[in-house]
Amino acid sequence: MSENNKSMGLYIHIPFCNKKCDYCDFVSYSMDRKAQQLYLDGLFTEIDMLKNQYIDKTFDSIFIGGGTPSIVYEGFIASLARKLYSSFHFKDKIEFTIEVNPSSFTKEKFFEYVESGVNRISVGVQCLDSKLLANNGRIQSMENIKDTFKILKNSEFPNVNSDVMIGLPGQDAGSVLKTVKFLIKHNVKHISTYSLQLEKHTMLYDKLRRGKIKPVSEKVMLSIYNKVYKLLTRHGFHRYEVSNFAKPGFECRHNKKYWDGTDYLGLGVSAHSFIDGYRYYNTKRLDTYIDHMKEGKSAVYSREYVSIAESRTERIMLSLRTTVGLDLSQFMTDFNEDLLRSKAEQIKKLKDMKMIEIVDGFLRITKDYFYVSNSIIVELL
Amino acid sequence: MERQDKIRNFCIVAHIDHGKSTLADRLMEYTGTVAKRDMEEQLLDSMDIERERGITIKLTPATMKYEYNGEEYTLNLIDTPGHVDFSYEVSRSLHACEGAILVVDASQGVQAQTLANVYLALDANLEIIPVVNKVDLPSADIAGTKKEIEDIIGIPCDEACEISAKTGLNIQSVLDAVVKYVPSPKGKTDAPLKALIFDSYYDSYKGAVSMVRIFDGEVKVGDEILFMQTNKSFTVTEVGVYKPQAVETGKLSAGDVGYIAASIKTVSDTKVGDTITLKNNPIDKALDGYKEATSVVFCGIFPLDGDKYQELNDALEKLKLNDASIHFQKETSLALGHGFRCGFLGLLHMEIITERLEREFNLDIITTAPSVEYKIWDKKGKEYDVTNPTEMPPIANIDKMEEPVVKMEIITPKDYLGGIMDLCADRRGMYHDMQYIDANRTKLIYTMPLNEIVYDFFDKIKSISKGYASMDYELAGYQESELVKLDILLNGEICDALSIIVHKDKAYPRGRALCERLKTVIPRHLFEIPIQAVIGGKVIARETISAMRKDVLAKCYGGDVTRKRKLLEKQKEGKKRMRRLGSVELPSEAFVTILKLDD
Repeated sequence: MSENNKSMGLYIHIPFCNKKCDYCDFVSYSMDRKAQQLYLDGLFTEIDMLKNQYIDKTFDSIFIGGGTPSIVYEGFIASLARKLYSSFHFKDKIEFTIEVNPSSFTKEKFFEYVESGVNRISVGVQCLDSKLLANNGRIQSMENIKDTFKILKNSEFPNVNSDVMIGLPGQDAGSVLKTVKFLIKHNVKHISTYSLQLEKHTMLYDKLRRGKIKPVSEKVMLSIYNKVYKLLTRHGFHRYEVSNFAKPGFECRHNKKYWDGTDYLGLGVSAHSFIDGYRYYNTKRLDTYIDHMKEGKSAVYSREYVSIAESRTERIMLSLRTTVGLDLSQFMTDFNEDLLRSKAEQIKKLKDMKMIEIVDGFLRITKDYFYVSNSIIVELL
Repeated sequence: MERQDKIRNFCIVAHIDHGKSTLADRLMEYTGTVAKRDMEEQLLDSMDIERERGITIKLTPATMKYEYNGEEYTLNLIDTPGHVDFSYEVSRSLHACEGAILVVDASQGVQAQTLANVYLALDANLEIIPVVNKVDLPSADIAGTKKEIEDIIGIPCDEACEISAKTGLNIQSVLDAVVKYVPSPKGKTDAPLKALIFDSYYDSYKGAVSMVRIFDGEVKVGDEILFMQTNKSFTVTEVGVYKPQAVETGKLSAGDVGYIAASIKTVSDTKVGDTITLKNNPIDKALDGYKEATSVVFCGIFPLDGDKYQELNDALEKLKLNDASIHFQKETSLALGHGFRCGFLGLLHMEIITERLEREFNLDIITTAPSVEYKIWDKKGKEYDVTNPTEMPPIANIDKMEEPVVKMEIITPKDYLGGIMDLCADRRGMYHDMQYIDANRTKLIYTMPLNEIVYDFFDKIKSISKGYASMDYELAGYQESELVKLDILLNGEICDALSIIVHKDKAYPRGRALCERLKTVIPRHLFEIPIQAVIGGKVIARETISAMRKDVLAKCYGGDVTRKRKLLEKQKEGKKRMRRLGSVELPSEAFVTILKLDD
């Protein structure tokens, strides 16, 4: 259930990359400055078309993701931020995140971000082993990474997230732990650990299908994940969602909106929105987006009403991915269903196997079983 | 000329894949019964399954008009199934005919079912018209094929038609031969009605419809007819012929092949083999009719969703209307709940019926391992007919056991003789005889236990011989045997639906193969699952399915939610299709794949 009195999140997609990584299925284009300029114009038009609809809403998070937001020319983000501030109503203290790639991050861009109000930077580190990354089609050098953290450290930027990939073909536990230790040393406050997910229509999927590479076994993936969990816990991080670890107070406000069903507005190519029970999908094609914006037409190419049953499924799915778990009384209020009764048999079985626990009215997956959360969630749907 | 002089009733017999249905299509096309543009490959194969698999299961009649020497003739063709499972249906259609076209593939020569079917036709006193098909193939050996027909079957082939049903070559010669050589019916039009039901089916508008051959007399709309076996009478609402769609004619007379509808509610009232006569003017003695089809293979059929038991019951009733050879009775399994023990003519028949239940009735079903009918005597001398492993008495109480055997004939090119003889030996076959058909081909005769061939024997023969060997079998009584019941334990609990009866020498390899196979079809669970094969409490094989270690969505942000939700919904749907046995969830494939064991 969406709650309209909660502040909304704002997502802006930057669909540009130097080169697409082999495992990536996000929408991205490699484009020159002119295309970026056209895209920024498009975003301005989309904002102008939508702003009146959100005149009564407040926002308390901005997330600029991609693609590679750090790749766009200097001044792009500052200009975009000014447009956002003048078009939507924001709370005093917002969380403003931008994703950066060390290969395109510069001191100049950093100052531009900070001056624009960015207070959270997410560094796409993935892995320190450049050779391993190169094998998976990601161009990134150790020098770039070091430079990036030097810039952040010199200005004592307080809120840095890094993404870490688990399960890149050829990767072992040592390589992942080295990466995580490096991040801890560089005072990163939030770490997202992604188990490599093989998405169709990616280079990696194709390579794997043709037998060119071997996937990391589940057993190894689990053992790496557990080692990372232990290491991070020892260093004062807590896991607040399957893939997300944070120092206290540094949980990502924006991402939590996705998990607790709060409304959010997405702008740009392939962005999604969730508003008043509807999901909206913007076009995935850059040329279509720019054309539509020039003609003053909506970027939305489809929308979907999330039915009660679907929203129930989403609630169970999303909240069981968090360590807080599922608020049973809120569930009862929203869906008129006492899960302890309706799923009594499954809950008993899972409790007996110590896979779930119920604490203070919250049902949650126990810490050792986060890695099989799908199977547990499916039992409770 | 008498009306009946211009009628010819005939069928086509052949080994499977020798081009029977294609020839039927060409005949209908040539006679203009069906316009070429309306031709759908293999017209008489009305079921999707038949067309997909390229086999004929049901027999379907078609009435054609053909002009010969300036006279118009009515040709009634009854298509027959070619597979060994369905020789029962073949013999039914033969009784409605005076002649049979024997189709032999010129590139393959006489095959096992060519022989079996032609003997059925000879038994029914039919005039046989040899047709050599596929003469357009580069590998066709027309002279050799004709010689085989003469030597092996003893039918002169000087005037055999040489055709290609595929290209339409010489189709006219077949029609001419039918007119020339098939005797016309010799019924008495003025005698009381005597009609044989050779098949029946249910039509939702007309009710139960009887496919009939009229021997004597005539029948028309409004007549009060009597079914002699069931002793029930009905008023005829519609009569007609098949072109091949049902076309009303208002009247059928001696010699005709067609259908009778009489608003009959249940198909069991239109029993195949029954004789129809007029209520007011009956004949004294019914026609001989048919032997009831004997079930050879048995299996349990259960609804995946226990609530669908009644639907399954209704579906089986409906199928039985059109296929009298299906037998079923209630069965209750600890693992699978309420369902039916069903008897079939063979494994293909079983596969087709289960497929039809799923496709035509939209039912999700589970079939258990096929079994044959064993005879078991306990120490008190009591006899049990066991078709279900769960009914097998404890081994300590058993005095004697017998299993059904078949007489198996296999025709194979000599290159594959060794491989086939090894296979037969491995399947406990007892060698009887070997005959040379020609320089290259040999006929083997074995006695074999039926339970060794119901699984995959046919597929094996085909794969060993690269498709060149053919087989045919007939039941040949019972022989004493040492059998054991093999049980499967999942996570320590016995799964009765997976139990099978096997010969004791086969128990170990089969137990091992079963465990291995189950390991591949049961998905991993959140916990470890041992799979054990057990005979009388003794574990003979074991496999373990390790617990699932990773089942997690990596990232789940705004745009991902719907996609991930759908993924989980799909996963949940998949779970619904599982059968829960204690704590273990079994996909329905688990029950099916054990049929295809390779041991």
